[in-house]
Amino acid sequence: MTTRTYDRYPMAWLLPVLVPVLLFTLYPVAQVLYTSLHQVIVIMPVEPFVGLENYRQVVLSPGFREALVNSVVFALVTAPLTIIIGFGVARLLLMRFFGRGLLRAVVILPWVLPGAISAVVWMWILHPSWGILNLGLYHLGIIDRYIPWLTDPQLARLSVVLAFVWTQFPFASILLMAALGGIDRGLYEAALVDGANAWQRFRFITFPSIKPVVVVLAIYQSLVALTSYDLVYALTAGGPGTATTLLSFQIWKESFSMMNFGTGSAVGFILVILSLAFMAAIIKALPAAIIRSG
Amino acid sequence: MRRLLVHLAALLLFLLCAGPIGLSLFASVVPDQAIFSFPPNWFGYSATSDNYRYIFTGRIPATYLTAGANRNMISDAARQVPAGMLNSMLVALGVMAVNIILGAPAAYAFARLRFRGQTATFLAIVMSRLVPAVALITPFYLLIQAMQLLGTKAALIIVHSVLTLPFTVLILTIFFRRIPRDIEDAALLDGCSRTQVFLRIVLPLSRTSIFATGIFAFILSYAEFLFALVLSGDAANRPLSVVMAALARNTDVSWGLLNASVCLAVIPTVALIGIVWRFVVEALLERGAEFS
Repeated sequence: MTTRTYDRYPMAWLLPVLVPVLLFTLYPVAQVLYTSLHQVIVIMPVEPFVGLENYRQVVLSPGFREALVNSVVFALVTAPLTIIIGFGVARLLLMRFFGRGLLRAVVILPWVLPGAISAVVWMWILHPSWGILNLGLYHLGIIDRYIPWLTDPQLARLSVVLAFVWTQFPFASILLMAALGGIDRGLYEAALVDGANAWQRFRFITFPSIKPVVVVLAIYQSLVALTSYDLVYALTAGGPGTATTLLSFQIWKESFSMMNFGTGSAVGFILVILSLAFMAAIIKALPAAIIRSG
Repeated sequence: MRRLLVHLAALLLFLLCAGPIGLSLFASVVPDQAIFSFPPNWFGYSATSDNYRYIFTGRIPATYLTAGANRNMISDAARQVPAGMLNSMLVALGVMAVNIILGAPAAYAFARLRFRGQTATFLAIVMSRLVPAVALITPFYLLIQAMQLLGTKAALIIVHSVLTLPFTVLILTIFFRRIPRDIEDAALLDGCSRTQVFLRIVLPLSRTSIFATGIFAFILSYAEFLFALVLSGDAANRPLSVVMAALARNTDVSWGLLNASVCLAVIPTVALIGIVWRFVVEALLERGAEFS
């Protein structure tokens, strides 16, 4: 029986989720927009309307531009890296080997561990003077001087990227496993008969089949990178200097350390607008089957 | 040869994922001077549970009293870990309950009912999670303040539920769509209402998926940091992620203690991860798909 009629009272099922989710999404966005158009400094009793003045201040400040560049670079580096590593892992997890069940469960560990704990663990590995990595490399005779993993600007960026990708690749792997598993086996057999080599099989069968998932992942991972905060913050606190200060942390800086909620909200609203663009892209790229209802 | 390479890659991946936690476990049961000894003498010291005993009882380990330990520091910040875990688990249990009680009916409506605005509301709920929470932290604070819930566990349960419900609704909608329609249609023809079909057929059929999806919400809530930091208030209510973040930046904590804290803190996540993989991830992937 496929009814084409509409069900009555659908909202009774939905409202308990829809109301809180929308309340905690729309109100905060509206509030951030409002604050960004006013001068809101904690000690000042009045909050005059200042139009786009906060945005002007923010866009002209070197701190914002630096954070924006850092965030964009961070996203452009981590998203492809996450997908490439995620693909390799997905491919591996679909093969047969001893202990696969255990490994599959262990693989999602980096993704679900509390960010603060990942940060502690990576801190313990990367700490410039007490970290286990320097200790090991030094004792093995590979390096003769400790490497400043978190205190040299370039190395700190690298460390933060690696730690972040470590926390993100399992999610990419899961989606790519699903996509890879859905490919028709017959295509590969036909390709083998036609004498296609491994690269050609990837280029003409595997990649076209998983492309929709790769596109969605690329957008999603860029968005996650653009808005991430806890791991990077706990590892480097945005330093050394401003080398690893991301946009998300810039909001925090403007709002809570400079106590200027107007400019902090302006940065926040810019981030919201950016993420809305990414969301529109995701909705466009999603396979219709996932969105289609009923 | 190929089989050997596959197993080697698998071993490498295992070390990459579990290695850091394994190292923590090791470092939590040997004295700091063993780790920093030169030439390396990692196994020359006997294993000790002193770090764990300190966290639970406050008894300072003997090794911290001897000279020569590289970081002979100790801080009672580590002693907040058990209370933090309890706080976080209570909040996470509440979040899990809310997700199951509210998320399952909503997901069922998306999977089986037909109504105007279905796609729009579904996308609104699922996509809401992509609005960067970090940009909205101040308004969240103001909302919770207006509800007079600042510093309570209820505040975190509400906020974490709002953050996890989109996942729960998405996952459960996929699960409910997979249930063969025939049984439900037969029951509807026999005069059951939608509510009866949901309560008597769908819920019993998918109780494992629903429970496992709830566990996933538990894990996400247990891991959340930003809102936990801003909304939790005084020390007595502080959730684990906040305690851990404070420890990470506290230079007065020895590696042994820090790692013992890490190992305690990850117990719930590690214990539950198998359930999530088996009944959520594995069930979402089409079964039997395999590359040889």
